Amino acid sequence: MSDPLIELKHVERVYPLAKQQFFYVLRDINLKVEEGDFVSVMGPSGAGKSTLLHLLGMHDFGWTGEYFLSDAAIHQLKPKERTSLRNEQIGFVFQNYNLLDDLTVYENLDIPLSYRRYSKSERTSLVADTLDRFSIVGKKDLYPRQLSGGQQQLVSIARAIIAKPKLILADEPTGNLHSSQADDIMQLFKKLNGEGITIIQVTHSEINAAHGNRVIQLRDGWIVK
Amino acid sequence: MLNDLRLAFRSLVKTPGFTLVATITVALAIGANTAVFSLVNALLVRPLPYQAPNELVLLWEKFCGQGLDVIPVSAPEYLDYEKQTSSFTGIAAFDYADLNLTGGEIAERIQGAVVSPSLFTVLGIQPIRGRVFSPNEFGEGNDGVIVMSERLWQRRFNSDPQILGKAVALNGRNFTVVGIMPARFEFPIPLFNIQGGNFAGQVDIWKPIAFTKNDLESRGSRSYGVIARLKPGVTMQQAQAEIDAINAGWITKFPDNYSPQTRFGASLYSLHEQVIGGMRTALWILLGAVALVLLIACANLTTMLLARAGGREREFAIRVALGASRMRLLRQMLSESVLLAIVGGAAGTLLAVWGLDLLRTLGAHTVPRIAGANLDIRVLLVMLVVSVGTGILFGLVPALASGNPELTEALKEGGRGATSGVRRNRIRNALVVAEVALALVLLISAGLLMKSFVRLQQVYPGFNPRNVLTMELSLPQLKYPRGKPVIDFYAEVERRVARIPGVQHVALTSIIPLSGSNSDSSFHIEGRPEKQTNVFPDEEIRIISPDYFRVLETPLIKGRYFTEADNADAPGVVIINQAMAKKYWPGEDAVGKRINFNDEDPKKIAWFTVVGIVGDIRHRGLDAQAKPEYYLTHPQRPFRGMILAVRSLQDPRALVSSIRGELQAFDPEQPLANIKTLEQVTAESIAPRRLSTVLLGLFALVALVLASVGIYGVMSFLVTQRTHEIGVRMALGAQRADVLRLVISQAGLLIGAGTVIGLLAALLSTSVLRSALYDVSRLDLSTFVLVTFALALVALIASYVPARRATRADPMIALGRG
Ligand SMILES: Nc1ncnc2c1ncn2[C@@H]1O[C@H](COP(=O)(O)OP(=O)(O)OP(=O)(O)O)[C@@H](O)[C@H]1O
Ligand SMILES: [Mg+2]
Repeated sequence: MSDPLIELKHVERVYPLAKQQFFYVLRDINLKVEEGDFVSVMGPSGAGKSTLLHLLGMHDFGWTGEYFLSDAAIHQLKPKERTSLRNEQIGFVFQNYNLLDDLTVYENLDIPLSYRRYSKSERTSLVADTLDRFSIVGKKDLYPRQLSGGQQQLVSIARAIIAKPKLILADEPTGNLHSSQADDIMQLFKKLNGEGITIIQVTHSEINAAHGNRVIQLRDGWIVK
Repeated sequence: MLNDLRLAFRSLVKTPGFTLVATITVALAIGANTAVFSLVNALLVRPLPYQAPNELVLLWEKFCGQGLDVIPVSAPEYLDYEKQTSSFTGIAAFDYADLNLTGGEIAERIQGAVVSPSLFTVLGIQPIRGRVFSPNEFGEGNDGVIVMSERLWQRRFNSDPQILGKAVALNGRNFTVVGIMPARFEFPIPLFNIQGGNFAGQVDIWKPIAFTKNDLESRGSRSYGVIARLKPGVTMQQAQAEIDAINAGWITKFPDNYSPQTRFGASLYSLHEQVIGGMRTALWILLGAVALVLLIACANLTTMLLARAGGREREFAIRVALGASRMRLLRQMLSESVLLAIVGGAAGTLLAVWGLDLLRTLGAHTVPRIAGANLDIRVLLVMLVVSVGTGILFGLVPALASGNPELTEALKEGGRGATSGVRRNRIRNALVVAEVALALVLLISAGLLMKSFVRLQQVYPGFNPRNVLTMELSLPQLKYPRGKPVIDFYAEVERRVARIPGVQHVALTSIIPLSGSNSDSSFHIEGRPEKQTNVFPDEEIRIISPDYFRVLETPLIKGRYFTEADNADAPGVVIINQAMAKKYWPGEDAVGKRINFNDEDPKKIAWFTVVGIVGDIRHRGLDAQAKPEYYLTHPQRPFRGMILAVRSLQDPRALVSSIRGELQAFDPEQPLANIKTLEQVTAESIAPRRLSTVLLGLFALVALVLASVGIYGVMSFLVTQRTHEIGVRMALGAQRADVLRLVISQAGLLIGAGTVIGLLAALLSTSVLRSALYDVSRLDLSTFVLVTFALALVALIASYVPARRATRADPMIALGRG
């Protein structure tokens, strides 16, 4: 096999607590994720799962250690280079959807494209394709508050993949959903994974984790399995 | 109510940052308003310091046919008015007089006035000691008495309680002091728009008019102002009709003095109007400017309170849930804003006290009655009302906008109160637009005035005011009767001053340019039919010594300057300016032409030959075109009161003591008065304009600062409000530049809308400035463009700061992950 898509070496995340006191959220994380993997991160509340995901998603830079993504040494990149790499490769699905309230479904889907180099016509056709693919064409002019939770999460996943990322990071994508809706989302992930997209999801559910090919257990900031 | 105030006080103390900014905002606006309102109060509102001042009228004559609109009255004319009018309870004549007070340690020049005995009764002011003049203290031989001001009595006579009945030496003659006028009494007071009226200082000694035989015989020698009090029930129109009838009588009786072509007449003016008339426009402009500042401040405070109210939505919702009525909430919020306004107003009033000090200094000697610009009870009351009104105004909108919170929304954990938030945002945006528009109007107005002021300062006045010292001398008639002694005295002064090291040129003149004083005289041109028509040309006249134009560095256009050889026995000579040459000898060579002064005896006509033409000098103001002027040489027309003008090689003020020493050496009784550099005289001539320009500039600056604070505040608030959105966008790939663009474009939209509205408003409103502008169109393109650009830039910078902060937003925190 070629090089892994993601490789973490001795990554640590520390929050200063009070004077001279520190709180280790992630400790000595060493991790390889191959291209095409479907990884589930599990562990008790407060274990550091979201922290790990945001670290991978390059929302957070306050860590130490080495992080390679597609052979790029993230720990050595400038913020601007990280952002463009992230824009190229990663789509993020939030636990609480984070759709923008004042924008329609169509406009929400268009946001990631507007920050990447797409022409106007490419954007129109990509949004149209995506709406079609997720069967939400009829909802394109609705505002997020007019959608159910499951529909909102669907839109947020659509928004995560619209710019054709190699990697999807999903933080408890089904946390707020009914189990049948959750199953639909997992089927969707499986399908996307089948198309070659690497997926890392945080989940509390063994059933959801079973859709993936790998499970990482976090406990108190340590990888235990 | 008290409880509301206590609550309000507590909640303001809890947010010191907000309270500080809000107080400063109110203080700036109320301070500016208080200062300008004090000015308006002192100049326009407060009555003149006389009894029933609105009954007082001034009478000036005019020769419309000769372009003379407002000229004084002669002795015989005045006596006719006195005898023949019945519209007035009293009428009086007055004129300024230069008095040299001697007999103390040093001779001193005192500003005096000669008045008819009736003056004090007409004005209705009593002396604080002694008496005023009795009706028979009038005319030659009966004028040996004076009334002095409380000021002079204190300063020079140490408030001597025995002063009454004592003799005082003035111009070498003894006068008996009969009364002392209160300090607040001031007459004559400086008037606007009077031809030949000068801006003398406060009068300290009044003496009765002593008409000479010569005065009583010459109808054409006009030097007296006339003031009268209308009888109760008599209107200006009725009095004017009576004056018209008297004038018509003269025209038939003395056809030589009032030929039809001159279109002689006399007009009555309200005294108040003449004192403040010239300033009314400037004051209205300033009042308008500070009103705009106040509006901007209100808009600012409204936006701040809106933001604050937004942050307290939950507090209000809980209060309502606990049973507070809408009225109670309204009252609580209004108590806060009114309290803020009163505290800010008090601070502003302190600011105004300091500002008024500055104003009085800036306007001293140049703006009539400005010394009285202070905080009186009327100003304080008006400002209290304005402050409370302001507080209600800026408190009401936010109070109404959040007085009925959406309970379910607001009480929900983390609810963002979407509905009332949208309404508030809309109000806030409208206010920012309004602020930008108002500030732009003010800035453009200030820009136009400043450009106009700069243009004015660049005007070449026709002379070089640098390094010239001027000072007045006035010789008493007793010691120096007309003629040779006067000529010899001034010749000696010139000789002695010329010896002083550092002096380049010395000269004498009867009048200095731009000083506000003026003199004109009619003449006759050889070979013109003036004798038949009896219409004589009348132009401005100055008496000078040979080196005058060298002192002023006014160029000789043709012919020659006066020389020592042009003495009393030599043939008469006259120098004219270009405007005069153009007016009377167009297309001809004026040099060699002759004029005379209509001497009575045709056998003894004294001719004056034009020997030179000099460049024009702007005399009436830098903004007024030069008028025709002619110059006679001092030995051929000796005056007792002359101004010494000295050009030096360096700072001319260094010469004062040596000049004084030279003078003391040969006549210690002659004081030097009104010592000023020519630069000072020039600067004072535009001082009222400088005052209004500085003030408007200052207010525009305050407006700019307030508007920037407003924009900054609103953008900061919006950025905070959009933190979550910005975080999501950054997580979805937005770069810093994208976020910056997002925020700035929103600010830009508001600023753009404000600018467009402001430009339209400025296009309409700058017409009120027209009379105040010099050589600048009220629609001056470069000012409009530059000011708009500057405002937009400042506004964008004000919104850039919060936008920058937005780009630094940590998406982790924005997404609720921190
Ligand atoms: N800004 C911060 N400062 C200090 N501690 C923090 C901060 N952010 C997170 N933590 C701590 O880091 C630990 C891990 O947080 P994280 O959100 O990654 O947990 P998690 O595994 O996702 O939990 P959950 O399953 O509840 O979402 C927690 O104990 C949390 O208190
Ligand atoms: Mg988590």
